[in-house]
Amino acid sequence: MGKIHSMMDIGKRTMQNSQTALQTVAHNIANKTTEGYSRQRVDQVTAPPVSEGRLQLGMGARAAQVSRINNPFLDKQLQNETGIMGYHEAQAETMGRVEQVFNEQMNKGLNQYMTDFYNSFRELSNNPESNTTRVMVREAASALANDFHRVDSQLEKVQKGIDMDVTQHVDEINKMSREIASLNEKIASVEIQGNPANDSRDRRDVLLKHLHEKVDIRVAEGDSGMLTVSTAGNALLVSGLDSMELKTQLHPETKRTEIYYSPAGLAKPFDITDRIKGGKLGGSLEIRDKLVPDLREQVDHLAETFANEVNAAHLRGYDRSGRQGNAFFEFSEGEFGSASNIKLADSVANDVTRIAAAAKPGAPGDNTVANVISMLQFKENMDGSTMDNFYTAQVGRVGVAANRAVKSKEAQASILEQVNTLRESTSGVSLDEEATKMIEFQKAFDASARLIRTADEMFDTVLSLKHM
Amino acid sequence: MRVTDKMGFNQVIGNLQKNRGDMADLQNQAAIQKRVTKPSDDPVGATRVLGYRTEERASDQFIKNTAIARNFLDFTDVSLNEVSEVLMRMKELAVGQANDAGASSDTRRTVAEEVGQTYQQMLQIANRKLGDRYIFGGMQTTQQPFDHEGNYSGDDGDIKLHVNKDAFLAMNLPGVKVFLGQGVGNDGFIRETEEVPRNTEQLEKFQMDENQRAHQNQENQQHQVRVRGPANDSHRGEQAFKSEIKADTSGVNILDTVKKFEIALRVNDKTEIQEAIDDFDRAISQVINARAQVGARIQVLNHSENSLRQNIVDNKTTASQVEDVDLFQVASDMNKADSALKASLETSGKIITPSLLDFLK
Repeated sequence: MGKIHSMMDIGKRTMQNSQTALQTVAHNIANKTTEGYSRQRVDQVTAPPVSEGRLQLGMGARAAQVSRINNPFLDKQLQNETGIMGYHEAQAETMGRVEQVFNEQMNKGLNQYMTDFYNSFRELSNNPESNTTRVMVREAASALANDFHRVDSQLEKVQKGIDMDVTQHVDEINKMSREIASLNEKIASVEIQGNPANDSRDRRDVLLKHLHEKVDIRVAEGDSGMLTVSTAGNALLVSGLDSMELKTQLHPETKRTEIYYSPAGLAKPFDITDRIKGGKLGGSLEIRDKLVPDLREQVDHLAETFANEVNAAHLRGYDRSGRQGNAFFEFSEGEFGSASNIKLADSVANDVTRIAAAAKPGAPGDNTVANVISMLQFKENMDGSTMDNFYTAQVGRVGVAANRAVKSKEAQASILEQVNTLRESTSGVSLDEEATKMIEFQKAFDASARLIRTADEMFDTVLSLKHM
Repeated sequence: MRVTDKMGFNQVIGNLQKNRGDMADLQNQAAIQKRVTKPSDDPVGATRVLGYRTEERASDQFIKNTAIARNFLDFTDVSLNEVSEVLMRMKELAVGQANDAGASSDTRRTVAEEVGQTYQQMLQIANRKLGDRYIFGGMQTTQQPFDHEGNYSGDDGDIKLHVNKDAFLAMNLPGVKVFLGQGVGNDGFIRETEEVPRNTEQLEKFQMDENQRAHQNQENQQHQVRVRGPANDSHRGEQAFKSEIKADTSGVNILDTVKKFEIALRVNDKTEIQEAIDDFDRAISQVINARAQVGARIQVLNHSENSLRQNIVDNKTTASQVEDVDLFQVASDMNKADSALKASLETSGKIITPSLLDFLK
């Protein structure tokens, strides 16, 4: 009788096991498209056998645990590559914006306005007596000044755009830090009972990936399965059950949005902006704080040199009425650079006869000073190159940087795709496989049901022995 | 390798996006006919194109300047031609009236009338305007350079136009040189250098030199030696003749010569008339020299304009090679991209549809 009992018992447990396995199959199919999901399987082991004399009788199988199929090394690599991808993506995107400021392939830009300026002085030189040519000079000069403003303000807009991005990224980082801390808690409480917290771990891996995408982080896993996440050197974002917030604030001097970290117990938050090197934040901060300020400085330098050269000649000249020339360009005093506030001197703007084309007073046909200004185009006054070449070199520099950013992004995209493919190959759900397993476990379920029926019939047989 | 559903889907999405991206790029290139639409498309090429464009625009302007200079010079040449014709006629008259064989005080008086008219004609030429500008006033282009006495109120400035990257060319001949003969010989009225100041330092030096020269000219003028003039003519007055500069000069004051000739005719001064023949000879050669100078400048302009035009064409060609699309290339690339896209779509259908579940009943 005992044997029939254990037959029924094994049958029952096998049916349960099959259901467990089928439920896992259902879970896998349901999460086929869930980001970062690792397929799960039921680890089935044989149940402890029973000794009966010399015999060791097997007692069926039991489900030991539900584990996920993953390769921690691949997950780690995926996170790192995603971080690099974030960096290049931000750079490519931001460089695209910077590049548009200097793009003269389709529209008029600083280079052309400078040429127009020289050409207007050449027209003036052709006919210094005429007011028409003087008006042309005035228009060309104010158009040039305006384009200096445009370049500078567009570059500043790029920086402001990044400021907004920074705030948004930091918000998301804080949100993710909080979620990781709460997942830490869940995982620790589940795993202390000896079961792996598969879904929570998957979720946490996805969050780490996204965090990597935003900023460069370092991750360490403790004994209880809890993670410590830090960024920018030693700024802790997550430590066990706690998460620390990053803050953004406008810097009083630089007027840029800076990132601050305030560790517990330390009253004064400190600026970690320049220690962030990776991820989208690192990528766009590098452009905001290094490339763009440098470009603005160069454009300022150009505007200043330009204005000073023109002024030097203009001051030595004499205007249409024989008066000594004033400054042609002016800078208004302020904290901003020359490119943003270069303007045509009021005296010239209001009265074109004040444009000084002559080298001596009272000679209406004298165009000597106009010629000197016309020659400025070929003067090598920027460390051995002309102002045109200096500007063109900046355009080239931006072009090369933008080009490199896009190329790196593309290269990184294919690396990322490869790693992703490897990860999916290991952890992804295959419908074919799940379908096969479904059949397999259904058959096992059917067979064990049959076993129970057989045992039942055997019971009947035994019970009806008396009536035979 | 274990192949899962997501891998297939990712691959399909990635490939289709790449194919579609390629198509979009090519379509864009075909539509706007440019290969380089932003610096990053070809950083080196884009900066070179900028350089070409700058040069091209400057060249365009230099061609405009050249046209203006040439117009001015042509007009000057026409005027000088008239002057030389007038002077020839004067010389003929002088030769005719130089001896008593075919001339008498009566004929001389008649001829004097013609010469008087000629003097006015000469003044008219010397005060000629092109547009609003007096062509013989030096840099004093807005006021009449010669009054009816032949006093010059212009200056000896050369109006130089920027006609090529590093070339300036004077488009005018100041009347003081052509008509008064100053600064053509070794008379101390010549500039040290004919170079145009090209930067502020040179401008400063130029202005100092000019000031010094103006001062010196004034002194020169003051220390001139008066030479023998013709006997006074009652209706002309003392200031009617200008003293010549006798510091080894080769220049001729043409207006004065004509005037002196007229007076000589009126007062029947044979010696003076004979001297006038020589003066007219020198005057004619002075004008011819001036015309030669004008001609040479026009030649220079023609040369530089040719090279500018060539330069523009070259620049356009090279820029086009860098930034313009090769349509044949685009068309063939497009075909390639198109067939790649179709192939992806077709095979994608095969990858995505079937799974084991489709075959289970």
